[in-house]
Amino acid sequence: MFSSPPFWSNGPSPGNFYNFPNLHPQVQPQDFRQHSQSPVTTSTSLVGIAYDKGVIVAGDLLASYGSLARYTNCPRIVKINNNIILGASGDYADFQYVKDFVEQKVISEECLDDGLSLQPKSLYCWLTRILYNRRSKMNPLWNNFIVAGVENGEPFLGTVDKQGTAYTDRVICTGYGAHIATPLLRDALEKNPQLNLAEAKALIEKCLEVLYYRDARSYPKYQLGIIDAELGVSIEGPLEVPQNWNVAYSIKGY
Amino acid sequence: MSLAVKPHYPDYSNAPIQRSFNPYADNGGSVVAIAGDDFVIIGADTRLSAGFSIYTREQNKLFQLSPTTVLGCSGCWCDTLTLTRILNSRMQMYQQEHNKIMSTEACAQMLSTMLYYKRFFPYYISNVLVGLDNNGKGCVYSYDPIGHCEKATYRAGGSAGALLQPLLDNQIGQKNMLNVKQESVSQEKALSIIKDVFISAAERDIYTGDSIQIKIITKEGIKEEKFELRKD
Amino acid sequence: MSILAYNGGAMVAMKGENCVSIAADRRFGIQAQTVATNFEKIFEMGPHLYVGLPGLATDTQTVMEKLRFRKNFAMLSHMLYEKRFGPFFVEPVVAGLEPKTYEPFICNMDLIGCINQPKDFVVGGTASAQLYGMCEALWEPNLGPDDLFETTSQALINAFDRDAISGWGATIYIIEKDKVTIKNLKTRMD
Repeated sequence: MFSSPPFWSNGPSPGNFYNFPNLHPQVQPQDFRQHSQSPVTTSTSLVGIAYDKGVIVAGDLLASYGSLARYTNCPRIVKINNNIILGASGDYADFQYVKDFVEQKVISEECLDDGLSLQPKSLYCWLTRILYNRRSKMNPLWNNFIVAGVENGEPFLGTVDKQGTAYTDRVICTGYGAHIATPLLRDALEKNPQLNLAEAKALIEKCLEVLYYRDARSYPKYQLGIIDAELGVSIEGPLEVPQNWNVAYSIKGY
Repeated sequence: MSLAVKPHYPDYSNAPIQRSFNPYADNGGSVVAIAGDDFVIIGADTRLSAGFSIYTREQNKLFQLSPTTVLGCSGCWCDTLTLTRILNSRMQMYQQEHNKIMSTEACAQMLSTMLYYKRFFPYYISNVLVGLDNNGKGCVYSYDPIGHCEKATYRAGGSAGALLQPLLDNQIGQKNMLNVKQESVSQEKALSIIKDVFISAAERDIYTGDSIQIKIITKEGIKEEKFELRKD
Repeated sequence: MSILAYNGGAMVAMKGENCVSIAADRRFGIQAQTVATNFEKIFEMGPHLYVGLPGLATDTQTVMEKLRFRKNFAMLSHMLYEKRFGPFFVEPVVAGLEPKTYEPFICNMDLIGCINQPKDFVVGGTASAQLYGMCEALWEPNLGPDDLFETTSQALINAFDRDAISGWGATIYIIEKDKVTIKNLKTRMD
């Protein structure tokens, strides 16, 4: 077979495909699953707290592309049915995928018309299995989900991460919020174990403000998802974080 | 071709950017079990954590498999959730197939088999299984993540396992003690030792704390207790 | 494996009422192979002053020789920090009575000289996790010399029995104002 010599050493030769230097066939992707092993368009913290008659979950509307604030109107707290709110942080595409098939599941159950609806604990348990199965295939859904709801009149607040680690608690925050908002919320709950809706709402708003000041990937526009045993589900927003940068000039030295 | 080091042009490389995904997490937690002639006690702390974050302060890590068998798990929490769910369904299948409840010994063997089944992608859990045997005697089985099983009368496992096991050797196994009669431990003493060792563990192990859940298994049934630990 | 765990070893020091103890195992091994069972890791550095050097055995002896040469314990931390970027692989444990007041004194350091000086006990070596568990449960304030010996030895022996590369006998020093008692204990040899 004829093959012409390269123009220069290791350079392209006429009539042949050229491989750029440093491209060995063995390092080319053999396993395409590798591609989904890192998040692309991401959203930051979620904060959630259970109060006496329900649960509040809040998160901002930003989807970042690395450090770029790319999409500024991405809702990630959604109503699933009359008992459940689902919130997500992490990869936005993975969230949309999960949201689609959860909504499909709700529709399928509604079609049965048996008067039964999906319960928060059921969805939480089911999501745990979905995420654990994906992690076991080394192809995770890069999200942290918060499932909030009311089941038998009792508030429910649970979370699942990309490995399938799942737990329930009265306070759950994801991402940066786990470090900044969790201590504030736990402290408030310890001082007043029976929070009402207004108190819980004020607390969550304070947390979002603190997070906005300190989390570089956060955004002042946010949504509040509230599920209450009496008032039902409401997704409020877009709301605005109250900002006050008057003291910013004095913060220096670190 | 020259032997010189090849230049690296990341922009011209279509090799995947390697950002590793770790399917395992270390969620901490400790389990201690002590068996006596007619009872067995198992305790586990209720802190669920990862790194320097405490996920929750009230996570039960003891799973009742039958009226006489309890499993304590610590390590990777997502694996624990999965394993215990499969275990529960296997217990139910056995019950419905044989019309009797699985014995503690059979349970212990089944757990070993189930762990070894995942030999090459293991459940990263340190398991301690306790229960009463067919003669009503307390027994403790401990496992490594891939299914090695050992029967003992006392065992400490999990993140503070290394701190606590020598203490149990000394206080229950009466190791390195001269002129003492080997006698089996009483229920009251076992319970107070479990509380004491968890207090010690919470001092030095950041993955152990908040509180302990204790289950006391006797032929009368299972009694449950809660005991507060330091929360920092 | 850390180079600190190449030879193995366990060490503990405790405070008592007007007395201190320092104790170590006697094993000298190369990884899993035991070479000798009479290896000293604790050295007398002056009246009422002992230093234990668990870690890499060659550095144990080098540091001991350098200390003997300098004969100034306060310099130990500095000496270790001099080698901040190429350290000796030892984590010293120091126990003694203050020269004039005879106050009990214990401290330990990491391999680059960071001093830790608690009120109760210090531990070192490859069995340190086990020792922490034992000491945290057994130690109590104001132990007399006999009780201190019992507590220290039980803590050390039960701890190193759960460490594959420590053990094979123990040496315990009880340092009091008017005397120092040295006891070699027989332990299980496996």
